[in-house]
Amino acid sequence: MKRFAKIWMATLTLLWMHAVAADVAIRNVELHTMTSAQPLQNATLLVQQGRVSAFGPDVSIPEGVQVIDGTGMVVTPGLVEPHSQIGLEEISAVTSSVDSRSGEQAAGPGFDIQYAVNADSTLLPINVVEGVTHAVTAPAQGQDIFAGLAAGIVLAGDRTVVQPQLALFGAVDARAAANLGGSRAEVVASLRRALTDVRSFRPSRYEPQAGQYSKVAMQALAMVRKRKLPVVLHVDRANEILQVLRIAKDFDLPIIIRGAAEGWKVATQLAAANVPVIVDPMNNLPDGFDRLGARADNPVLLHEAGVKVAFSVSDSHNARQLRQLAGNAVASGMPWSAALRAITLAPAEMFGLNAGRIEVGQAATLVLWQDDPLDVTSWPQAVMVDGQWVEANSRQTRLFQRYRDLAAGKEAGFTYR
Amino acid sequence: MRGIAFFIAVLLSTTSYATTRPPYESTYEPRPTTAFVIRNASVYDGTGRFLPNTDVAVVNGRITAVGTNINVSGVREIDAQGQWLTPGIIDVHSHLGVYPSPSVDSTSDGNEATAPNTAQVWAEHSVWPQDPQFGLALAGGVTSLQILPGSANLFGGRSVTLKNVPSRTVVGMKFPNAPHGLKMACGENPKRVYGNRKSAPSTRMGNVAGYRAEWIKALEYKAKWDAYDPASDEPAPSRDLKLETLVGVLEGDILVHNHCYRADEMATMIEIAREFGYRITAFHHAVESYKIADLLAEEGICSAMWTDWWGFKLEAFDGIKQNVALVDQANACAIVHSDSARDIQHLNQEAAKAMTAGRRMGMQINAAEAWRWITLNAAAALGIADETGSIEVGKAADLVLWNRDPMSVYSRAQQVFIDGYLYYDRQDPSRQPVTDFALEQLSGGSE
Repeated sequence: MKRFAKIWMATLTLLWMHAVAADVAIRNVELHTMTSAQPLQNATLLVQQGRVSAFGPDVSIPEGVQVIDGTGMVVTPGLVEPHSQIGLEEISAVTSSVDSRSGEQAAGPGFDIQYAVNADSTLLPINVVEGVTHAVTAPAQGQDIFAGLAAGIVLAGDRTVVQPQLALFGAVDARAAANLGGSRAEVVASLRRALTDVRSFRPSRYEPQAGQYSKVAMQALAMVRKRKLPVVLHVDRANEILQVLRIAKDFDLPIIIRGAAEGWKVATQLAAANVPVIVDPMNNLPDGFDRLGARADNPVLLHEAGVKVAFSVSDSHNARQLRQLAGNAVASGMPWSAALRAITLAPAEMFGLNAGRIEVGQAATLVLWQDDPLDVTSWPQAVMVDGQWVEANSRQTRLFQRYRDLAAGKEAGFTYR
Repeated sequence: MRGIAFFIAVLLSTTSYATTRPPYESTYEPRPTTAFVIRNASVYDGTGRFLPNTDVAVVNGRITAVGTNINVSGVREIDAQGQWLTPGIIDVHSHLGVYPSPSVDSTSDGNEATAPNTAQVWAEHSVWPQDPQFGLALAGGVTSLQILPGSANLFGGRSVTLKNVPSRTVVGMKFPNAPHGLKMACGENPKRVYGNRKSAPSTRMGNVAGYRAEWIKALEYKAKWDAYDPASDEPAPSRDLKLETLVGVLEGDILVHNHCYRADEMATMIEIAREFGYRITAFHHAVESYKIADLLAEEGICSAMWTDWWGFKLEAFDGIKQNVALVDQANACAIVHSDSARDIQHLNQEAAKAMTAGRRMGMQINAAEAWRWITLNAAAALGIADETGSIEVGKAADLVLWNRDPMSVYSRAQQVFIDGYLYYDRQDPSRQPVTDFALEQLSGGSE
């Protein structure tokens, strides 16, 4: 036990124990609001009744407000994961704990996962204590080009699904092609056909023929058609990215490209079309024939071309790796501020999620880091979501506490031999 | 088992031609290098020490001196002021070459999932030396790695330890004199694969009965060969490739690398080893090692672990980020492994995350100690610690120069040496391996 320093008790409990709307001032921090170009040094951030009431170099702190000295620390907005199955997949290999995939092929775009999001999932606290406060939780790709409708979720607090039906997810890749008989041309053609069909879609008169989408599916497509929500397509190969850009133009679709392993090859076209991308900066493997051009500096080249970039781990259990992704993007040449933006404001803006920034008047959702949040040797000292401190416990911290001292075994209550 | 060695020797003497090299043995030879000295580096030496402002001299691919202001002259000088020097990273759990990129059916050669015991297969006979992932791992500072068969079977087959050097042949990559490993697997995978086919094993108790039945056969086979007198007229017993591998374990020549997640199953595997008199070298994945770290320390068994993988199946549900730190603190052998073509490129970051997870909980771990998890401890589990895994006089100059502290996410390997030869240089494209497959097709060997 000697090797466990007292800081465990001292710092963590001090900052993590308040589960009530906070009145707190964090002083002397490096503050990244994401709404100003430059971070504020030696700033004070004042939160009153759970809302950001002021920040800046000269903020007077009212009486009765708890004061935290943040010297050497960094404050950012909570991190935002733009593609996950958080709340939909507890244990990936246990089917009864997985709700992300529709078995009904015809559901297609109409598959709406908001009804399956499990607020009690262990993945929420495990990721939120690492600073991930928001996520887009999306249906997994099934047989259809469209996986279905995703929801915006917040990982702590009383409400989990904050924005149902916030985007339609789909794929134009080798797997989608395999489902349609083999050729990527068939995927592009099917996509065009569906978008053409929806032009003449009238809900009251619609009678689906065999092989056609259900009414619910057509209604989801109609929302995209009316630009009420973006469609997020998983596309890696340069050629298919260009095909999708043409479709977006022809049908006037709000589109987001996910994956984009070869996005760097068509970065100029992506920038010109004003189409944002969701990429994994650590995915540099040529592990499929859609991704032979994968490279680690893909996000850097996209960013330099003027493309709006967000990062995604695409591993719900480890959405907490988001900041490691951002750190690696920096090592590959991305400006630090752009990399932080790619895991906060950029994904929030892509989806119209109310997250990813610190703004006066807004509910406070932020992370206090003891050091550079993009480096792997830092950690969150405290996380606040919607004006409340998040409890430091997750199932994993409880397991740690149970087994950290095997000789004592106090909490375990049993011994081994 | 002297009998079988003699028998094989006789076979070789009658069938070999053009060369006296035993079949399958390594043909790797260090490339000729001129002597050099790296000056003023910050060193994590792999044994747990941090050495500031340190010089390392290399002659004929071996480390000949480590210290401050060491007195060597007339050799090439590398100024490493402001840079960091570490031993080459060693990954004890990789499937590069057997699950290469691109990942398609025709390259999927890692799991001989046709019987619960396939101890007769050797991973090296699936390795595609042209897998582009080897070069990516090299750019991440990986100089040696163990390639294992997959975990579908109770006994998956023999592993191979490779030097991460470009070669047209797998024998040209084999780490000279490194022992083979035997991949064994506990838990969900074997029972799922065979249970789905309505054959044994379909339960964990079926798994255990399966291991025991095979070890009984191995003991019988060993007894038969032990009783065989090559000098006599009696015919030699017939060879069985499967049982040869298991006997290799019983005789201590082959090291057991046991895929096992749950603490209680690891404990059961230790009972089986006790029953049949073999040693388990390392539990791999071992997401629950922290629950029995004291037992593992007592038994002298290593744990090869991820930092933050969990929850992809039920036996991985109790994975915690402090696993590595807790195992290390219990004085058990802790190793950070990748099992991933992505994470093998960043094992320094995985070690840093494991260290940080412990620190966050108040544990006192320094970076130099954490470096053992991806260097010397890994070398020990592969039986190559006399050769590599640390920066010590007499060892191979398997070295990585980093542009900054490699415990930072921003750090990148700049130069990677294997036996003193510069196989990778971030600033020099001619020192970046490009496989045949990559030509005019991939975006280059750089990370």
